[in-house]
This record gives sequence, C-alpha cells and structure tokens, in this order.
Amino acid sequence: MNLTAEELKKLAAPLLVAVALLAAGAALIWSTGQSLAGSKRQLAAAETERKRNTERLARIAEEQREVSEKLDIYKQLRQANILGEERRLEWADAITRIRTQRELLDLSYRVDRQRMLKSVPGKPDNIDFLASKMNVQLALLHEEDLLRFLADLRGSGNAYYVVKSCSLARTGQAATGTTITPRLRANCEIDLITALDRGAKK
Amino acid sequence: MARHLLYFTAEDHHLYRSSGGKLELEAKFPGDDLGVTAFREHLRGRKGALFAVVADLAGEDFHEEQVPVLRGSDREAVVQRRLAQRYRDTRLAAALSLGRVTGPQRRNERLLLASFTNTQQFTPWLEALEEADARLTGVYSVPLLAPALAARLGARGRALVVTANRAGLRQCFVENGRLRFARLERTVELVPHALAAFVRSETLRLTQYLQTLRALPRDGAPLEAFVVAPRGERAIFEQALVSDARVVFQTIDGAQAEQAIGLRQVPDGAAAEALYLHLAARKAPREQFASSGDRRRYLVWQMQRAVLTAGALGFAACALYAGTRWFEGSDLRERAAAQSNEARVAAERYGRITAAFPVTETSTENLRATVLEFQSIARRNVAPEPSFVHVSRVLAQFPQMEIDSVNWSIGRPEDRRDRKPPAQPVKPDQGGEAVVLEISGRVNATQRNDYRGITAQVQSFAAALESSGYALVRTHLPFDITSEGTLTGDIGGSDSGEAPRFTIVLTQRLP
Repeated sequence: MNLTAEELKKLAAPLLVAVALLAAGAALIWSTGQSLAGSKRQLAAAETERKRNTERLARIAEEQREVSEKLDIYKQLRQANILGEERRLEWADAITRIRTQRELLDLSYRVDRQRMLKSVPGKPDNIDFLASKMNVQLALLHEEDLLRFLADLRGSGNAYYVVKSCSLARTGQAATGTTITPRLRANCEIDLITALDRGAKK
Repeated sequence: MARHLLYFTAEDHHLYRSSGGKLELEAKFPGDDLGVTAFREHLRGRKGALFAVVADLAGEDFHEEQVPVLRGSDREAVVQRRLAQRYRDTRLAAALSLGRVTGPQRRNERLLLASFTNTQQFTPWLEALEEADARLTGVYSVPLLAPALAARLGARGRALVVTANRAGLRQCFVENGRLRFARLERTVELVPHALAAFVRSETLRLTQYLQTLRALPRDGAPLEAFVVAPRGERAIFEQALVSDARVVFQTIDGAQAEQAIGLRQVPDGAAAEALYLHLAARKAPREQFASSGDRRRYLVWQMQRAVLTAGALGFAACALYAGTRWFEGSDLRERAAAQSNEARVAAERYGRITAAFPVTETSTENLRATVLEFQSIARRNVAPEPSFVHVSRVLAQFPQMEIDSVNWSIGRPEDRRDRKPPAQPVKPDQGGEAVVLEISGRVNATQRNDYRGITAQVQSFAAALESSGYALVRTHLPFDITSEGTLTGDIGGSDSGEAPRFTIVLTQRLP
C-alpha cells in the first residue's frame, strides 16, 4: 500500500510518540544502569570498609600490645622535640653553644630548605616525615673535636640527626706558636629529621 | 475503542455499538433512500469512528474454484481475475482459501469465491461512511463469521451452524474451520414449536442438497448440526430436533452461545445475529468483502496504532529491563547498607575497646607510623665515629703511613665514578647502601722508586683496614703496575724527597 503525503502526516505524530517512548525507555535503562553502577561502587566501598574494620577489630589485642610498646618511643620523640614544627632557632642556639663549650676555632653551617622524606607504605595522610640538610664546616685542632661536636649535636635534640657524609683533611698550615692554628678541616652533611603529626593532640 | 456495526438485511438496517462485551442498539434505518439520509445524519460528529458492515442477505453467492498454487502479487492477480470472471461487480467480492489439493499434474489451491448478487444496495451506505470520514474496518457477511461461531460452539470437522436471525434462518456449512456453503431462509413470525420444526426440516433439506453437491459423502457419518435456540427455548428445540442417520443435532441455548463468545449484554429484540455482530466486533476474520480502498482510513489507523503499540512495547521492554536492573541495584544497595552497618558496628566496638587503651597523644595509626618510620631511619643511620676509630687503630700499627684526608659517606661505591679508575681489580658490589670510606695518605721512610716496597706497604695497610666488616674497594698506588697502564722509572736519578701518595677505598655494608 502506497501512502499519500496526508496519510504520512497522520503517521508522523504516532511515530514521534513511539520514538519518544523508546527514548524514554532508553533513558530509563541508562539511568538504572548508572544507579546500578553506583550501587556496585557503594557495595564495594562498604565491603572494603567492613573488611578493614573487622580485620582491625580482630587485630585489636595485637594493637593494644603494639600501642603499649610504641607509646614510650613516641613520647621520647615528642620530648626531644623531634615531633612538631622545625625549630631552626633552637638548632642555631645549640650549634653556638657547642662551639663555645668546645672552644672550636671556626664553625660555619648552612641549613637548606625542608623536604619531604619518602615514607613506609601505608602511612596515614595526616603525618609527614621531613628533613632539612645541613652542611657544617669546622676548623679543628684535633680529630676528636669532630666526634665531640657530633655527639653534642645529637644530644641537643630538636631533630633526629643523620650524618650522611663527613670528610676530614689536613689544613697544611704550620703552627706559628703565637696563635692557635687549626690542623684539620672537617666538612659534614647532616640530615635534620622531624615529623609533623597533624593528628596529634596539642 | 468502541465499534459500530451496521447489521445489513434485505429490509431494515440496524446500527449497533459494541464495547467491552456489550452490544447496544444505536439506531434503526429503513433500507431505502430515507434510511441512507438518516444514516448520513447519524454519522455527523462521528469522524474517525470504527464501522463494520455485517450483511445478512439471501443473495450471497458461493462458488468453488481451483487456482494454481501461487504467492504474493501473482496469487492476488489470479484471484482478482477469477473474481472478475465470476462477478460483474467485484467491489464487494472475496476469495476464501479452502486449502491445497494435489492433482495428477500440479498442485492447486481451492478457493471459495463469494459475493453478493446485488452489491449496489451497499453503495450509498458505504459512500455515507466515506463522506463522514468514518473508518470502515470491513464488510462481512454472516457466513464469513460462522466458522468463528462454530469453533466457539465446539464444532469439529464438518458441521452445520443454524441460527434464527432477524433476517431469517441462517444455515452455514463449515468444514475444518472453513466456510463451504451458506443459505438464508426467510421466516415469518413463528411460535417456538413451529420454528423448531422449521429448523429441522430446513436442516435436513440442506443436508440433502450438500450431498447432491458432493460436499458431503453419501454414506459418511451423520452431519453435526449446531442449532442456537432462542433464549429459554432450548427444551422445545431439543424435543423437535431429533437426530437420525443423516444429522445429529446439538442444541445450544442462546444465552449459552452468548457466554461462549463472551457477549455479556444483548439489546432487547435482537436475535441470534447478535452473536455474529459481536464476533465481527471482537474476533473479525481476515476475509471480508471491502476493498483496501474502502478500508484505507482504517488501515492507516491500524498503522498508527501499530506504531504506537510498537513504541509502547519498546518502552515496556525497556521498563522491564530497567526494572530488573533497578531491583538488582536495590538488592546491591541493601547489601551495601548491611555491610556499612557491620562496618559501623565493628568500628564502634573498636572505639569502645580502644577507649580503654593507654592514653596517647595521637591516633593509633599515627603512633604506629611515626615509631616505625623512626625505627626504620634509626636502623639505616650509621654514625661516622666507629669508622674513624677503626682507621685510627689500624694507623697505630703503621707509623710510616701519614694520612692526608679521610672521607666518610653513606652511598653506593659505584657512585664515586668521578674518581680515577682503580689500579687494583674492584670487588663486585653486592648492592644496597654502604658506608664508603676513602683514605688518602703518604708512605714515609721509603724511597719513591722502590715500587715493590711501596706496593707491599700500601697493600699491607689496606689489608689491615679490611677487617671489622670493611671490604676493600680499590687501592690507588702512586704508580700504575697494571698491564693497561704505563710504568715509568728513573733508576739512579736524584730523589725529589716527596713521599709517594696513595688512596684506599673501603666499604661497609649497612644492615
């Protein structure tokens, strides 16, 4: 049967309605598909959380023991001011004090800007481990002065000190007898490590 | 949608309205021009309404033909040619297929050609419908609807369907669900007993006629006749309709027949034609008399409905599929809620238990991470003092050695590539960070050109240093004794007095 233009016009409205219905059906499928995907994600997240919480609950006895063990170390770190913001003024004071106490001839240092340390996997987001590199140059009468300086620096606290390198060399200057002439020159690179725990109670 | 049915008889025409199993009489029109005018008037305001014509006329011709088995337009052309050969006016003519027969030479299709002897009587009525823009669903005759009624009444094989219609006594011969022959015998007002007797005599006459036509086998089984008795007159009919060797009568009450076809309400005064009218409205057969031109508006309406139905079915299918996904999602959400609840309960229990832990200044996670990190840093942290003490102790055993510099560092031995290539073979590095100790000095109290003596002393000093976990990486002598280098000497020449210098590199692996 061949349709006339008028008859085709009569079919246009039902066709539009049919297309609209099909589009609505497709939209319905799409929206339920989105909803289903969202539900799957929700379930996966809930399962992960449930698993994590259940496992944490199962490990609680171990955790209690661990807390007891680690709490002392944590307290020591806090008392030594290793936890918290950097204390550069305290570092400067400590170096000046050591120089004076040990009567070191010449001591110069430079502390670079702080950088983030790579941490163990699974570290919580609200804690960061940071390091500042310090270069120290010392003029020494005797090599033991260097060892005393390092020991005093470690004892001064306010950071955890990690010596990365240390070179000791003769100055080659001859003793004059009238002034004290340094015989050795030491150059050390030391990392001053601190931790910033934003979850800690003030 | 309600359907209007014009019951077309030789005298009056009745217009019925069929809706939801109910049949209502809308109007009655005389068969003359006045009737047509009244019908036109009645059609005003019924644009787009569905109309069917159900003719119940005596002048209906049935003729059996055979045509070759064909399909599509070829079959249509042959059928139209046969109809044109048989009838002068083919506007209202139909060809009913009776199935195929296999002849000696070719396979044929049996056709029952049917039309009205006077088609002109329909013309003004069909034109009125056309003018009113009504949709003509089809022009049917009562015999065309008889197979459907026979099936509903339980007829199988060969059977007669006999009904007392308003137009007269209608007898239809149906074979295997297909119409073979029909006739209408006019009746006058008869009492039930007389009508029953008339039914019996006419049925026997028709049976004899069919045998004459060889439509019935002469010595076959008795023919079943399904007689629809007017409401409440079944008992009277059963008394009169006594079966014999030729015909077995099955009497059905009118109400029972209406129930069998789903007709719930019949207008007062209507006879058995109500059964056919209801079937024309609800279960219309494919075969009918109107041409596709007359039914065009109805066909377009059917297309509109088909498109809408397809859209609705598509939407329903989508909705069904979406529904299953929604239920699946709902199930997942319920499971997620249950999991979240379990997680919350576990967290609450954890919180209650940890509340009894020693008071900490931070969370357990931060406490653990901080301590572990510093323990890890402390494990890798090596102080330079033990290395200096080790060098000092070894040096005490070699007074002829004078140290110029000691470089202590943490790193990899291969990182020190800016240095000169080793004079001695380097021990393979075993990977990882290590303490690297580089000692530079001079050998005193030995002549500069005493290569063997200097080499022995430096190697002896290096061997002494290679203890307490230190490994020798390389020894750099003041001269090159390897095959790759150049060895020079000035025997007997004057000594410059400068002590020969050496460099020893050691490593100590970190734990």
